[in-house]
Amino acid sequence: MLKITLKSILDNKIRFFLTTLTVTMGVTFVVASFAVADSLRDTFEGLSADINEGTDAKVRADRPFGGIDDSVPLPVSLDYLDDIRAVDGVASAAPTYFVFDPPVYPTDGSGNEVRTFNGPPTAALNWTEDEVLAQMYLIEGERPEGLDEFAVGPIEFADFDFVIGETYTITLPEGTREMQLSGVMQFGFPDNAAVGAVLTVFDQVAIQQLMGFEGVAEEINVRAEDGVTSEELVERLQAALDDDVEVITGQEATDEFNDAFGSIISVIQTVLLVFAFVVLFVSTFIINNTFNIILGQRIRELGLLRAIGATGKQIRRSVLGEALVVGIVATIIGLLLGFVGALAIRALIEAAGGSLPDAPLPLRIRTVIWAVALGVGFTLLASLVPAYKASRIPPIAALRSDGVGDEGNAKLRYLFGGLLAVLGIALTAFGLFGASGTRNVLSLLGGGAVIIFLAIAILAPLFAGQAVSALASPLPALFGSTGTLARGNARRSPRRTASTAIALTIGLALVTLVSVVASSLKESVDRQLQQVVAGDFLITSEDGNTGLQTNVVDALEGADGIATVVPERSEFVQILGEESQLDGVSLDTVDQVFDFQLSEGSFEGVDVATSIAIARSYAEDNELALGSTVPVTFFSGVSRDLSVTAIYDEDAFYSYIVDNALLEELGVVRSIDDVVVNVDEGLTEDQGRAAIEAATAGLAVNIQTRDEVIGSFKQAIDIVLGIATVFLGLALFIALIGIVNTLTLSVFERTREIGLLRAVGMTRRQARRMIRWEAVVIALFGALLGVLLGVAFGAAIVGAVPESFIDRLTMPWGRIIVFVVVAVLFGLIAAIFPARRASKMKVLDAIATG
Amino acid sequence: MSQASPTMTTAAQAVAASKVYGAGDTQVVALNQVSVAFAAGQFTAIMGPSGSGKSTLMHCLAGLDTLSAGQVFIGETDLSSLNENQLTLLRRDSVGFIFQAFNLIPTLTAIENITLPMTLAGTKPDQGWLDQIMATVGLADRAGHRPSELSGGQQQRVAVARALASRPSIIFADEPTGNLDSRTGAEILEFMQRAVRDLGQTIVMVTHDPVAASYSDRVVFLADGAIRDELMSPTADAVFDRMRALGD
Ligand SMILES: Nc1ncnc2c1ncn2[C@@H]1O[C@H](COP(=O)(O)OP(=O)(O)OP(=O)(O)O)[C@@H](O)[C@H]1O
Ligand SMILES: [Mg+2]
Repeated sequence: MLKITLKSILDNKIRFFLTTLTVTMGVTFVVASFAVADSLRDTFEGLSADINEGTDAKVRADRPFGGIDDSVPLPVSLDYLDDIRAVDGVASAAPTYFVFDPPVYPTDGSGNEVRTFNGPPTAALNWTEDEVLAQMYLIEGERPEGLDEFAVGPIEFADFDFVIGETYTITLPEGTREMQLSGVMQFGFPDNAAVGAVLTVFDQVAIQQLMGFEGVAEEINVRAEDGVTSEELVERLQAALDDDVEVITGQEATDEFNDAFGSIISVIQTVLLVFAFVVLFVSTFIINNTFNIILGQRIRELGLLRAIGATGKQIRRSVLGEALVVGIVATIIGLLLGFVGALAIRALIEAAGGSLPDAPLPLRIRTVIWAVALGVGFTLLASLVPAYKASRIPPIAALRSDGVGDEGNAKLRYLFGGLLAVLGIALTAFGLFGASGTRNVLSLLGGGAVIIFLAIAILAPLFAGQAVSALASPLPALFGSTGTLARGNARRSPRRTASTAIALTIGLALVTLVSVVASSLKESVDRQLQQVVAGDFLITSEDGNTGLQTNVVDALEGADGIATVVPERSEFVQILGEESQLDGVSLDTVDQVFDFQLSEGSFEGVDVATSIAIARSYAEDNELALGSTVPVTFFSGVSRDLSVTAIYDEDAFYSYIVDNALLEELGVVRSIDDVVVNVDEGLTEDQGRAAIEAATAGLAVNIQTRDEVIGSFKQAIDIVLGIATVFLGLALFIALIGIVNTLTLSVFERTREIGLLRAVGMTRRQARRMIRWEAVVIALFGALLGVLLGVAFGAAIVGAVPESFIDRLTMPWGRIIVFVVVAVLFGLIAAIFPARRASKMKVLDAIATG
Repeated sequence: MSQASPTMTTAAQAVAASKVYGAGDTQVVALNQVSVAFAAGQFTAIMGPSGSGKSTLMHCLAGLDTLSAGQVFIGETDLSSLNENQLTLLRRDSVGFIFQAFNLIPTLTAIENITLPMTLAGTKPDQGWLDQIMATVGLADRAGHRPSELSGGQQQRVAVARALASRPSIIFADEPTGNLDSRTGAEILEFMQRAVRDLGQTIVMVTHDPVAASYSDRVVFLADGAIRDELMSPTADAVFDRMRALGD
C-alpha cells in the first residue's frame, strides 16, 4: 500500500505541491512567530543579565505601589551613598543613570542632532569608576570628566560626524552648552543586539547637573567584596538603610526586567500565533477539499484495489499516508522557511514604524514540536473524513462508469451544521455579553468564530448551488456557450464549489471584520475628539514622547497671538487605594481647550492645592460627591487628601484632574507631556502657527493643529489595520492556492469533456474563458459570503464594545467593495494555470483517456 | 499528387497518408501510405481488425491528429496547411463527431449539447433545421433534460443530432453503437442512414459490427495500416465474409 501511496503522490506532483504549499505557509508562520518572539526574549534577557553583571545589589527608592514598567524610576537620595559604602562587605558603590530619549543631546559637526527620530533609539548615561557597576568601558580617547566633557558610543561615533578633542554644542532642557568630545565608550557587552542604541556618556557630576538629578540617583549599584554573597550583602544593606529604600540582588533586578519585557513579548507572540492559526485553519479546508476531490477521481482505482483484495483499513491507511507525507514535507520546509518568514515579519514591523533588534533567530525544541504538531496534525485532521470515506468505497465502484455524485446526506448536514452554528453563535454571544476578562472574552470569541466557520463550511453546499446559479446567471448572456458551460461547471458540484470558496470566505470575513471594527473605532474616536477637543494647537517635544520643560510654557504664556496655554502632565498615583492615572492641567483655563461637560461644581476659582475634578462615572463608582474627600498617594510616597470640586460627564479621556500647581508643589513631576494652546480669536491656522513658532523659537517643539492631532490618532489605527490586513492577506493567498488546486483537479477530472468540447470546435481561448469564469463565480461566491459574515461579526463586536470606546457602527463600504474586487481578481489569477492546462490539452489524448 | 487532387464531390480524402508512432524498436506503423476518398452524400463504413489503424485514420481525417507523411483534405482544404486554431475552427464549422461514449457535456441540456458547435461559433442555429432534426431523432420532449437523465441510446441520438445540427460537410463516427444493445444500435444506424439518404449528409463510420456496416453505402477494409478491400452496397453477410478473409 505504501508503494501505491507514494506512486499516487508522484503521479500528481502539482496537486502535491499545492497542498504542501498551503500547510508550509502555515507552519512557516508558526515558526516565524516563535523565532521572532524568542529572539526578542533572548536579546532582552541577555541585555538585562549583561547590565547587571558585576552588580551584586541595587539600592533604589521604595515604590509605594506599581512595578518597574508602570512609571519612570523614582530617584533615590545620594545621601545614602556614604551609608552604603560604610556597610561591611561592600567593595564599591556608585549611582547610575540611564535615560532613553534624553532631553540632553549633542549636535555633530555637520549639524545633525543625535536624537531618536533621526535613527536608532538614543540614551544618555554615566560611567562609573568601578567599571562593572555601569558596564561602561573606554575604547578610545579619555573618559569625560566634569561639565565640559562628554563621550559617545561607537555607533554614534561611526554614524555621525564627531572628532575626538573637538567641541560640540549640547542641547539642554534649557539652553545649550559647548562641550568637548573626550572619547568613545561602550558597554562591556557590545555583541548584544539590543545595544543598537546611540549613547551619550557623561560623568556622574555632569549628568546630575545637566539632567536635573541633583542629589539623587536613579539607582545605586553595589559590588560585594570577595566571599560575600549577594544575599548577605542585601541583608546587611537593608539593615543599615532606612525603610524608604529598597535593596535587591542583581539577579532579582534581572528577573524583574525580564518579567516586564517577557509579558510584552508574549503578547506579540500570541498575536502572531493567532494569525498563524488562521492560516493553518484555512489550509485545513483546502487539504480536506483536495482529498475529497482526489477521492472522487480515484474511486474506480480504489474500488479495483478493494476488488482485488485490499481491506478498507489498507485504503484508509493509504489516504492517511499521503496526508502524512504532505504534513511532514510541509513541516520540514516550513521549519526552514520560518526564518525567512521571521525576517519578513521584522521587515513588516519596521515598515510600520516599529523597531526590533537585529538579533539571531533561535530555533527552540518547543518551536519544532509546535511546528510538527500543527503541520502534521492539521493535515491529518483534514484528511480523516476523506480517509474514512475512501475505506467505505465498495469493490463494485470499480465497475461503475462514472465517479461519485456524492453530495452526502442533506438532512444530516442540516442537523450537524445547524447544531454547530447554534453552538458557535452561543459561544460568541457569551463571549461578547456574558464573559469578563480580556483573555476569556477573546478565547470565547475565537472559539465561537472557528465553530461558526465550520458550521458555514458544512452548511454552504446546501445553498451554494442556488447562490452560484444566481451569481452566474448573467454569464450565458455575456459569453454565450462558454458562459453557460462556466455556470454549469461552477454549480455542478455545490459541495466542491462551497469547500473551495470557504477558504476565501474565512479570509475575507476576517479582513472585513477587522476593517469594520477599525473604521467604527476611527469614526468614534474622530467624533469624540471633534466634540471634546476645543484647543487649536497641541505642542509636544520634537520626537513626540520626550516631554517638555516649563520653558516652553513660559515662552508661550503672554506671547503675541496666544490666548490660552494649558500644560498637561500625567502621574501614576493611588486614588482610594487603587492605582490610576491622574492628570495635571491648569484648572482655571482647561475648559477652554477641552469640553468636559461640567455638570457639578467648577474648575475655576478653587483652591488648587486641595482640589480634584472627577469624571461622573468614576464618582458614581466610588460614591463620591461634590466636597467628598479623596486620598491620593503619589509615586514618591507623599499622600494628600483632596476635595472634589468638580464633576464632569465626558469620561473618555480624563478620569481625575488636578492643577499643575499641586503637582509642582509636591515635586513629583519632571516634565510636561504636552501643551494645548488656543490662539487669539480671528487668527487663521497659518497665523496661529506662526505665532506659536515665533514664541517658541529656539525650542525643540512639534506643533500640530487640532485636525492633525485627530488625524494622527486615526493614522495609528490605520497602521494597526494595515498590519492585520497584511497578515490576514496570507489567508487570502492560501485561498487563492485553494482555488488553483480545485480548478486544476477539476480540469484534470474533466479531461474527456474538455477534449470533446475542443473536438467539436471550442477554441483554446474559449476553453480558457470557460475556466476563468468558473473561477470568478466561485471566488465571488466565497467573497460575498465572507463579506456578509465579516460585516455581521464586526457589527456584533462593535455592539458589544463599551460605548465610551466605540459608539457607532461605521461600514467601510469602499474597502469592502475593494475586497470583493480583489477576490474576483484572485479568481482570475487562480484560473490562469488551470485554464492554460485546459486549453493546452491535446484533443486526442483527452478523447483517448479513460 | 495530381491524380489525387480533390474534386467537388469528395467530402474528405487521404493521400499517401502515413502515421508512425514511436521510433526505433518500439516503432509502430499505424497507417502505411493510405490513399482513400470519401464522396459527398455517401455513408462509408471503415472496418478492420483491432489495431488495423481505423481510429488513427479517422482522427487524422478529422484534424484531431497529424500525419507523419502524406496529406488529408476536408473538402478542398489541406489540413497540414492549418494551424491549431484554424483546425479548431474547421472542426467546429465543417466536421461533426460521434464517439463511442462520453459524447455529451454533463452540465448542458440535450438541446444545449446539440447546438453547442454553433453557440461556440456564436452563430444562430437554423430553427427549421433543428426542429427537423429533433423530430427525426425523436427527442423533442427530452430537449431540456441533462445527459444524466437520458438513456444510453437517447444520449447517442443527441450526439448524432449534434453532429448533424451544424450541417457539417462530413461527420466522423467511431463505433457509435459500440456501447448499445442491438435494437437501440439499429435505431441510431437507421437514423444515420436517413441523414445521408434524406438530408444529404456525408458520414464516415468506424465499426467492428458487420450488421452496422450493412447500413452504409460503401465499406472500406483496413488491415495493418493499409486499405485492403472495399465493398459497395454491402449486406451483413458479405461484410462478414470479407472480414473473415482479412483475418486469415
Ligand atoms: N498513441 C499511440 N502510440 C503508439 N501507438 C499507437 C497509438 N495509438 C495507436 N497506436 C497503434 O497504432 C495502431 C493502430 O491503432 P488504432 O487505434 O488506429 O487501431 P483501431 O483499428 O482503431 O483498433 P480498434 O479496433 O481496437 O479500435 C495500433 O497498433 C496501435 O497500437
Ligand atoms: Mg479504434
